[in-house]
Amino acid sequence: MTFVAPRSDSSPTPVSQNIRERLEQRLHRTSTPDGSNQDEFQEPQPTRSPMVVLSNISKTYRNGSKALINVNLQVKRGDFLFVTGPSGSGKSTLLKLLYGQERPSSGEIMVNDHNLSQVKGNRLAKLRRRIGIVFQDYKLIPRRTVAENVEFVLWAQGFTRKEINRRLWPTLKMVGLQHKARCFPDELSGGEQQRVSIARAVVSTPPLLLADEPTGNLDSDNSIQVIRILKKLNSIGITVIVTTHNEQLVRISNHPVVQIHNGYLHQVRQ
Amino acid sequence: MLKVFTKTDYLLRETLLGLRRGGWMNWAAISTMTVLLFLFGVSLQSTWQLEGLLNQFGSQLEVSVYLASGFEAKALAPTIGKMPEAIAVETISKEAAWASLVEEMGISDIEGATEQLNGNPLVDELKVKARSSEEVPALASKLNQMQGVEEVLYITEAVQRLAQLNEGLRWISLFVIIVLSLTAIAVITTTIRLIVMARRREIEVMQLVGATSAWIYLPFILQGATFGLVGAGLSWGLMLGIHRFLEKFATQQPDFIQFLINGLQLSAQQNLLLPVALFALGSAVGLMGSLFAVRKFALR
Repeated sequence: MTFVAPRSDSSPTPVSQNIRERLEQRLHRTSTPDGSNQDEFQEPQPTRSPMVVLSNISKTYRNGSKALINVNLQVKRGDFLFVTGPSGSGKSTLLKLLYGQERPSSGEIMVNDHNLSQVKGNRLAKLRRRIGIVFQDYKLIPRRTVAENVEFVLWAQGFTRKEINRRLWPTLKMVGLQHKARCFPDELSGGEQQRVSIARAVVSTPPLLLADEPTGNLDSDNSIQVIRILKKLNSIGITVIVTTHNEQLVRISNHPVVQIHNGYLHQVRQ
Repeated sequence: MLKVFTKTDYLLRETLLGLRRGGWMNWAAISTMTVLLFLFGVSLQSTWQLEGLLNQFGSQLEVSVYLASGFEAKALAPTIGKMPEAIAVETISKEAAWASLVEEMGISDIEGATEQLNGNPLVDELKVKARSSEEVPALASKLNQMQGVEEVLYITEAVQRLAQLNEGLRWISLFVIIVLSLTAIAVITTTIRLIVMARRREIEVMQLVGATSAWIYLPFILQGATFGLVGAGLSWGLMLGIHRFLEKFATQQPDFIQFLINGLQLSAQQNLLLPVALFALGSAVGLMGSLFAVRKFALR
């Protein structure tokens, strides 16, 4: 992997093996408020069950534009998948289908063994707790500090104060932002803000992480840094799906790639 | 158990945050609530006081029917009971009336007294309850025309006018309270909607990370209820203060005015009921206002 010369104030601490192990242990031990952590960070098993299955998915928006046409896709637990394609090709729609923001016009979606086409309301909310989402525009809350932005997710999901304090620091450390915990988002660079949003996405230890153009607003150094963090998360067992139109990022890694073009999905690299 | 604490911790924090962000809009909502609840309380109190005053004149719905001697109340009761205006008929035989009269006068020897007067001097009596005060005169004249009825007595027109006045006042205050409630709901809805709009991003993020709608919107709803409860507290305090002042004022006044003010005292039960009613209406209006505010957003 290429070495990235980090900016002096924003470098993520090179995560030593030691810290990583501690983090993994930490996150393993923590539990969700309803006491179920059976599907957190499952180590890749010999026969891995699929995390995401799309079968014959089509999505036509109400204005008639066809975003996805007959898409079939299977992502196994522990996989790292790039979704590429020009902007407007349907990449975001694909992710929105996965976290239930949009519903398919036809076809079936299974995410983490739940059929998403039948789920709505509070059950959808509960399902989303098992999915971390990273956005191109970060979607950080401007009037809350970095720490509060990350904590916010845990509050929203009903974690206890104790549990929140226990999870916050390892997560911030992982993205190398523990020294910026008291800063507000507008005091951070774009790369740092995106790292905050990654921290926010994974602080509740979801088994699936969706990143919608996480590098879209970043320069190449910061982009590589972000991808590195995502790979690190993948290495501890999180299934990661990343959309990007940045071919260079895809080229420097050896993960599977699918491309969406005019609504059709093609396998580019296994 | 732990979960309950987490919930209250979160709800209180978020509600307080919302109140802090509301700024002067909080004042608008709370003062509207206070005015509404104060008027509501005053009209409730005056209704009770007028009613108490009217009750001193006896029931306005009851018509007393005295029969001619030789007729029995029990024989007439079924016919009267069938009248559409009458909802209840109570018979008082002349023997019972005589017994209670004699007892009231403190005569122990009933037989002797009866003998002295050449028999029971009283007649049978019926107490007929009318359905409503408007129907009392019609019922009375109908009863008067029945055979065997000697005299029909009911509360005079002046008292009925007073009752009608009370009724009219009640309608007016009901109208004013409804209008003011709508105003209060509108003000609270606007206040909370502004705060919801200001926090749209947070709400969006909450939805995306899997917060349930109850979890997202409960703080806003609690905030609306807080407006109502604070308004109720203020208006109750205001009413208590005015009451205190009147009492102090009365002690320096001539006896007649003191008597009048004492007549307007509320019973212990009503003294308890008044704050309960204020807080109930306050929280109901507050909840309604905030529910309207978040409904539009929650439906998405």
